Amino acid sequence: MTDKSHRLYAVVLALVVFFVAWAAVAAKPWATAKTDPRITALALREQRLHADATLVQRVAAQRMAAYQVALKQRQAQIASARARSLQATPVSTASVQVAPAATASVRVVNLPPLTITRTS
Amino acid sequence: MILRSFRAMGTDVELLLDAEAGERAERALDRAEAEFEDLEQVLSRFRPDSELSRLNRDGRSAAASPDLVRVVELALAAREATDGLFDPTVHDALVAAGYDRTFEEVPTEADAVSHQGAACGGVVHVDGLTIELDSGTRLDLGGIGKGYAVDRVAESLAVAGPCLVNAGGDLAVRGGSWPIGVEEGLTLELSRGGMATSGRDRRRWVRGGVEQHHLIDPSTGRPAESELVRVTVVADSAAEAEVLAKAAFLGGDVDVPRVLVTADGRTVLAGGLE
Repeated sequence: MTDKSHRLYAVVLALVVFFVAWAAVAAKPWATAKTDPRITALALREQRLHADATLVQRVAAQRMAAYQVALKQRQAQIASARARSLQATPVSTASVQVAPAATASVRVVNLPPLTITRTS
Repeated sequence: MILRSFRAMGTDVELLLDAEAGERAERALDRAEAEFEDLEQVLSRFRPDSELSRLNRDGRSAAASPDLVRVVELALAAREATDGLFDPTVHDALVAAGYDRTFEEVPTEADAVSHQGAACGGVVHVDGLTIELDSGTRLDLGGIGKGYAVDRVAESLAVAGPCLVNAGGDLAVRGGSWPIGVEEGLTLELSRGGMATSGRDRRRWVRGGVEQHHLIDPSTGRPAESELVRVTVVADSAAEAEVLAKAAFLGGDVDVPRVLVTADGRTVLAGGLE
């Protein structure tokens, strides 16, 4: 009876060991996982965008710096023109300014007119 | 682009609206046209039943409309700012020169009606909605009234889209950029504000063999003598441009973008347009 039970246990154990070994071999733990090509493409795209963004930031910073320099020069020119104008204008001259005209915006263009102004 | 043209305030009016044609645009244009009519009924000196004509007849209005009060106040402020070069009390001087009815009805040639100019510079009191004119003072709000109407209509029309309102050369824009012909071969692009032209090349007639025009020099009470034929001015608003154009024509020191056409045919750009 005892020998019989021992044999049964041995067989069951052998079967368990066999299936565990089979499952382990079937799982191919030595094979490396295959990378999804879409993820690779996304990673490449992210790198490119990052590089582009860095470039754009650098160009924008350069342009901003150039603009600030031009703005300062222009402001200096305006201030000096104003000073000259104030010095040149006799105090007694009637200066006609119903309201500041700074908000009106006009320039000479080479376009066909949509309408005309004439003596009203 | 939608264009509507009609006659108002004795001149041709153009409304240019940069919007899709449809009911909304049509309603806005209808409102704009009606607003011109309403303001003409207030400000015209040629309509006997206008509010201005009643004020000129009675010398006093105890309950003037806000529009009349506003235009009179603007005109008085302009008179002060231009040291009297612009003056709303030139009514009698215009009548004395022969401009006593709508321009279409003024005879091109007739006998002299007056050898002397009428006095200008009359006193006008404004207190709330009460306007009072000193004895013998009558107002002509033709030019500044037209500018005021142009500004008002442009403001309301802008609700429907970028627009340009042009009343016989006094114009205002709201939104967009608008190329405007000033002279043959000279176009100015206006993207904000107003523009007006004053001169002696139009609205002129002959009395007793002497040429007359509508730009009265308040210091003489007679049509102004000037080396200039016309002046076009750009300013914040059409009303302001109208005032400054007249002042510039009369020799005022006007510091705004402007185009001057001289009697010898030269066109001079000034005020930043050079």
